[in-house]
Amino acid sequence: MSSSKQKSGQFVVPGDRLGVIEEFVPGPGTYEENGTIYSFATGRALVDMLSKQVSVFPKTRFLPVPKVGSIVTGQVREVQSKTANLRIFQVDKHPISGSFTGVLHVSDVSFHYVEIMHDACKPGDIVRAKVVSDKNRTFHLSIKEPDLGALHAFCSRCGNVLTSRGAQMRCLKCGKIERRKVAQDYGKGGIV
Amino acid sequence: MSKKKVKKLINGKGIRYDGRKLNELRPIKLEVGVLDNADGSAYIEQGKNKILAAVYGPKEVHPKHLAMPDRSLLRCRYHMAPFSVEERKSPAPSRREKELSKVIREAFEPSVFTEYYPRTSIDIVIEVLQADGGTRCAGITAASLALADAGIPMRDLVSACAAGKVEGHLVLDVADLEDKQGEADVPVAYMPNLNAITLLQMDGMLTSEEFEQAINLAVEGCKQIYQLQKEALKAKYVEVKEAKKEDAEQ
Ligand SMILES: [Zn+2]
Repeated sequence: MSSSKQKSGQFVVPGDRLGVIEEFVPGPGTYEENGTIYSFATGRALVDMLSKQVSVFPKTRFLPVPKVGSIVTGQVREVQSKTANLRIFQVDKHPISGSFTGVLHVSDVSFHYVEIMHDACKPGDIVRAKVVSDKNRTFHLSIKEPDLGALHAFCSRCGNVLTSRGAQMRCLKCGKIERRKVAQDYGKGGIV
Repeated sequence: MSKKKVKKLINGKGIRYDGRKLNELRPIKLEVGVLDNADGSAYIEQGKNKILAAVYGPKEVHPKHLAMPDRSLLRCRYHMAPFSVEERKSPAPSRREKELSKVIREAFEPSVFTEYYPRTSIDIVIEVLQADGGTRCAGITAASLALADAGIPMRDLVSACAAGKVEGHLVLDVADLEDKQGEADVPVAYMPNLNAITLLQMDGMLTSEEFEQAINLAVEGCKQIYQLQKEALKAKYVEVKEAKKEDAEQ
């Protein structure tokens, strides 16, 4: 199919020609090779007439992976005095394939000094975090920012959902008081 | 392997034992997105072949030391179900299955943008439920759709088909009986838009001229299969009323 005949909104699959670089600017969902722009996705081709950008809006699922700067959601697994392991199950609000492991160090918990990790999170907590580094094949996480931290936390004695008053967490069922680094929207519903 | 002729496979009019012309594919049925628990999947029937392909990823690599800093680790496992062949096969992977897993992975390496997903793996699983010759090619055709279904960025779809020589004739899409009694088999995997061959093998004896003809014949088969792959993706991802509108416009 010649490039000029490729209509905006047309269904395309990987490898379909979308145009040439003299005509269009390659956008998301496309790649360029030897001056020709192709789709790398399965979906609808879209041409922005003003910017001359051609892109493909995928119709398939899109499974992201964590990158430096990604906002991820995960569940806390093991907690040691200086580190915690998280099982990441969501990246930038998208579900992912399986789960990725992330590591949180106590120095990345708060702008204030935190002595031990057990004051910031406990196994089972659902936490929103940011990927700050991927050194040594490991995703290093931070929950320092106000919008990061626990979204749901559970009483370590009875398992009830904890109620937050800042960092002080109270179990309304058994009365236990615990500490967490919470996100500012803690307990406000969704985990995304 | 016995090459003893048990019956004539091609008659005087150039019609094959299953009624096909020399350059005719077997009937092919493709379906995209057949499994709920994989990230992408597809099913193919080609003649009596019945094959499922599933794709997982991009996902965390296990074991971790296999992870690569600059790209995704593309892996493939081709497996034949014990009931896929006449005599029940051991479920443990055979040497042939390991070899095919490797060549199928290599057939996708030029297509998949592995560099988009450093430190992850993309796993292709091909399960042959029933085998009737040409399973590596049919498996590639299905796996290509499973990769697209999982949203894995690809330079092109990969379409695959074999040509061969049977009783002195070059034939397209070699069935099991033809493979067993024939002189040669040439499996080809091909990226139709980029006009690039990503898998080329030869089993048997051909002159260099015949070899070239066989490749061209197989590529023609790949191009036909490519159209069916596109239709299968469209059937999965374009709603009926949208498709009607599109057809009307064309
Ligand atoms: Zn409690």
